[in-house]
Amino acid sequence: MLNNDLTLRNPMRLLGPSGDAPLAAGAFGAVLARAGVGKTAFLVQLALDSLLHERKVLHISLNDPVHKVALWYREVLAAATACKASRPATSLWESLQPRLFIMTFRVEGFSVPKLEERVTDLTAQEIFAPRLILVDGLPFDTEAVEGMLREFKGLAGRLETPVWFTVRTHRHEAPAPGGLPPQVAPVADLFEVLLRLNPEGTSIQVQALKGGPQGKSALPMILDPATMLVRDPEASS
Amino acid sequence: MKSDIQKVRNIGISAHIDSGKTTLTERILFYTQRIHAIHDVKGKDGVGATMDSMELERERGITIASAATYCQWQGHQINIIDTPGHVDFTIEVERSLRVLDGAILVLCSVGGVQSQSITVDQQMKRYRIPCIAFVNKCDRNGANPRRVVAQLRDKLGHNAVAMQIPIGLEADFEGVVDLLTMEAVYFDGPNGEALRREPIPAHLLDEARTQREALVDAASLFSDALTEAILEEAEVSTAMIVEALRQGVLARQITPVFMGSAYKNKGVQLLLDAVTRLLPCPADVPNEALDLDHGEAPVLLTSRDEDPTVALAFKLEDGPYGQLTYIRVYQGSLAKGDSVVNVRTGKKIKIGRLVRMHADQMEDIERIAAGFIGALFGVDCASGDTFTSPQLRLTMTSMFVPEPVISLSIVPKDNKAQMNMSKALNRFTKEDPTFRSFVNEETGETIIEGMGELHLEVYVERMRREYKAEVVTGQPQVAYRETITQMADFNYIHKKQTGGAGQFGRVAGFLEPTDEADFIFDNKVTGGAIPTPYIPACEKGFRACLAKGPLMEFPVTGIKVTINDGAAHSVDSSDMAFQAAARGAFREGYHKARPVVMEPIMKVAAETPSEFQGAVMGLLNQRRGMIVGAQDEGPMCVIEAQVPLAEMFGFSTVLRSATQGKAQFTMEFATYRQVPASIAEELIKKAAEKKKKVA
Repeated sequence: MLNNDLTLRNPMRLLGPSGDAPLAAGAFGAVLARAGVGKTAFLVQLALDSLLHERKVLHISLNDPVHKVALWYREVLAAATACKASRPATSLWESLQPRLFIMTFRVEGFSVPKLEERVTDLTAQEIFAPRLILVDGLPFDTEAVEGMLREFKGLAGRLETPVWFTVRTHRHEAPAPGGLPPQVAPVADLFEVLLRLNPEGTSIQVQALKGGPQGKSALPMILDPATMLVRDPEASS
Repeated sequence: MKSDIQKVRNIGISAHIDSGKTTLTERILFYTQRIHAIHDVKGKDGVGATMDSMELERERGITIASAATYCQWQGHQINIIDTPGHVDFTIEVERSLRVLDGAILVLCSVGGVQSQSITVDQQMKRYRIPCIAFVNKCDRNGANPRRVVAQLRDKLGHNAVAMQIPIGLEADFEGVVDLLTMEAVYFDGPNGEALRREPIPAHLLDEARTQREALVDAASLFSDALTEAILEEAEVSTAMIVEALRQGVLARQITPVFMGSAYKNKGVQLLLDAVTRLLPCPADVPNEALDLDHGEAPVLLTSRDEDPTVALAFKLEDGPYGQLTYIRVYQGSLAKGDSVVNVRTGKKIKIGRLVRMHADQMEDIERIAAGFIGALFGVDCASGDTFTSPQLRLTMTSMFVPEPVISLSIVPKDNKAQMNMSKALNRFTKEDPTFRSFVNEETGETIIEGMGELHLEVYVERMRREYKAEVVTGQPQVAYRETITQMADFNYIHKKQTGGAGQFGRVAGFLEPTDEADFIFDNKVTGGAIPTPYIPACEKGFRACLAKGPLMEFPVTGIKVTINDGAAHSVDSSDMAFQAAARGAFREGYHKARPVVMEPIMKVAAETPSEFQGAVMGLLNQRRGMIVGAQDEGPMCVIEAQVPLAEMFGFSTVLRSATQGKAQFTMEFATYRQVPASIAEELIKKAAEKKKKVA
C-alpha cells in the first residue's frame, strides 16, 4: 500500500519513536530558517507524517491563502510519490484530505482567543478535532509574540495537542547570548524542540538547537533543495 | 461607423456578484450621454438599469446575459460587454472575455477580493486580457480601498498600483486625489457630472506624495525614458507615466487601481479616461485563428480592414425581430450585402441588416470594421461560429465548454406550451453551449442539463416569460457516473442456433480502470483468434454498453477494455454476433470489476461574516461537505469546502436564513468522487422504483 510505503520511507520517523508524534501533547516545536530555505515544506512533511498516521492536523497560515497551502500539500505529496502511479497518489490525497484543516488569518487579525473560538466551533460540532497544530508565519520579531506564545501554550494544553511553529531568521544576525537566534532566545523555555534548517553546500542540514533525539544536535536528515523533501542522507535516493 | 482602430476599446466589466458592475455601466452610459437618466439595478423606479435588459434580470437584480453596448468618450468608441457575475453563468463571462481586448475588474471596497473575483481573474489570465481595477462602493460602511489594493497583490498576485487615494471614506467619501496630476478631484452637480479640481487637502499631501512615488517607480519598469528622467531628476510628465503604465498594462505586468463610488456618482469619469489611455485598442492585441487547411496551424490575424474577413459570433439573442447575432470582426470588415461563409457548416450567407447595440435598443449601421463589435440580423448560426471571406478556411480557437452537472425534467402544460418550449430550447441551446436538452427515450420526458440549479431555473423562467411556455419541472437530477475500481477478466461466448442462420463469437480479455480517457479500447488479439474484420464490431459492442452502466444505468467512464483472445466460426460469425459477444463480455467483466457510482463534487466557497463561521461550517458539514479550510478576512471569512452537488439543492435559502441573509456562496464543478455505500444503496432503491414505474 502506498500509505504504508510512505510511512516507512518517511524520514520524519527519525524525529521520534516509530508511530509516535515527535512532540508530546501540549509541547512546542519550532523550525527555524531564513526566508526561502524550506520551513513550510518541512512543516508540511511533519503534517503528512501525522496524516499518514491518521492523526488530524490543523494547519494555520498567516501568509498564504487556503488554496496555496493546499497546493503545498499536493506538491509535497506528489514529489514524495513521484515514482508511483498517479491514481493511487490521487486517492491517497483524497483519503488524507479529510484529516487536514487549513485556517488562514491575516497577521494583524490573528489572536489566540480568536483561534480558540474557531477551533471550539469545529470541535463542538464534531467537524474537526486536531491532534497536531502547525502555525506558519507567526512573526517572532515583535514584542507581542511572547505573550501570544504563552496564551498558545495554554490552548495547546487544553486541546492536548503539540504545536509546531515556523520562525524566520535573518542572515546577518548575531546569536543571542545562549547561542540561539534572537527571535527564539527570549521564549526558548516554552519550546521543547528547536530545529534549524541550515543550507550547506548543495543540501540543507537539519540541526537540533534544542531537544534533538537522544540529545544529538546533528540530525540524520537533510532537506533536498531540488524536491524540498526531507530525506535520510544514509538512504539511497 | 467610425473606423479608426486606435480609438476603439472593446472592454468588459467583470467582478464578483453585487460589486456594482451594472451600476457602474449605467453611470458610464450616463456620462457618455448614451442615456439621459440614471436607474437603479433592482428596478425600484420601475425602469431598471439599462444594461439589464431582460425582465428577469431586473427582477433579481443580477445580470444574466451579456448585453453589449457602446458609447463614446473623448473621441474614443468604447464597446462594453456587461458580464454576469454568478458562477452559474461562467460560460457567458468566458465568451465575453474571448472577444474583449481589455477589462475593468470591479472590486467592492468592503468585500475586497472575493471568491468570484478570483474565478474571474483566472479567466482573464486564461485569455490574457489586460485589465485595470476599480474599487467601488467607497461610500459604504467598512470601505477600505487600501486593503483591496493589498489584496489584489496578495490574493490575486497582481502588481497593483494605486492611481488615486480616497478623500474621506464611508459617509464622508468626497472624491479622490489623482496621483497623476496631483490634484484633488470632486464630483459636483446632482449626478456628479461636474468635475472640480483643487489642490490636495493638507492632511493627504504626505500620503499622496508617497503613493505617487510608488506609482512612478512601478511605471518606470516599463519605460526607459521614464527611468532616465527619474535618474537625471528631470521633469516627469504625466504623458510619460501614462505611456509607461500602458505598456505595463498591455503586458499584464501592472494593474492600475482606481477608486470611487458608482452609486454616488464619484470617480467614474476618471475611470473612463483610464480606459481610453491605458487599455489596448484591437490592434494592440494579437489574435490568432486556426487554419483548417493546414492542420489547424495558428494564423495571426491582422486587424486591417482591407484583408479578408474573419469574424466570430459570440452571442445569440432571440429578439422581437428574429435572431440577433453579436459578432466581433477580427480582420477585414463586414458590410451590408457582403457574402461570408460559416466555417462550421460551410454555408455561404449574405449579410443583410447590421446593427450596433445599446443594451436592447439598436441602431442600423452600414459596416462593421476590423476590431469592432456589432450584431447581425437573420443569420442562422450557433454561438461560437466563425464567419470568413469565402477564400479563407480559418476558425477562431474553440472555447472550453464544461460538461453539464445537473439535469431537470420539464413537461409542457399543454400543446401550445409544447410548441413554444421546443422553440425556446432550440434557441437556448444555440445561445449557450453549457445548456443542453434531449428527450429521454424511456420516459418521453424532455430533460434539460446545465451547470447549476440557478442556471436551469433561469432558463425555465425565460421559457415562461419570453416564450409563454408553461412547463412543470421535476426534481433536479445529478449527473452520476459509473466506473470500475479493479481489473477483471472476461471470456464470453455468444452462441445462438435456434433456427435460421446461427450466431457465434467468443471474446476474451480484461477490463481495468483508467484516468486517461472515458473509454479506451485496446486490441491485443494475435494469430487471428478474432478475425480482423470483426474487431470494430467488438469495439462497437463495448461502446454500446457505456451509455447505460449495468450497475445503475448511469453512463460508464474511466474504463479500458483490452481484448486478447477469442474465437470465430466460418459460417455463424458476423458483426452482429461479435457485437453481442462484446456486450455479454462487458457485463461479465463489469460485475467482477467492483463497479461504483461516482457523483459530481462541487468546490464551494461560502463568504460569511465571521460570527456565522461556525454555523456555516455546520451547514456544509451536514451536507457531506469536506471543509478544506477557512480564510479569515477581517470582518468576513471565506470557507472553502468540497460538497456533493446532490446535497447543494436549496442551499442558498438555508444559508441565507442561517446568516440573516449576510452570507453568500459560489460553486463550481471540481471532480467526480465515489458515492458512499449508504447513499449508493438509496440510489439503487430509487432506480429500482423508477424502473417499476416505467414498466
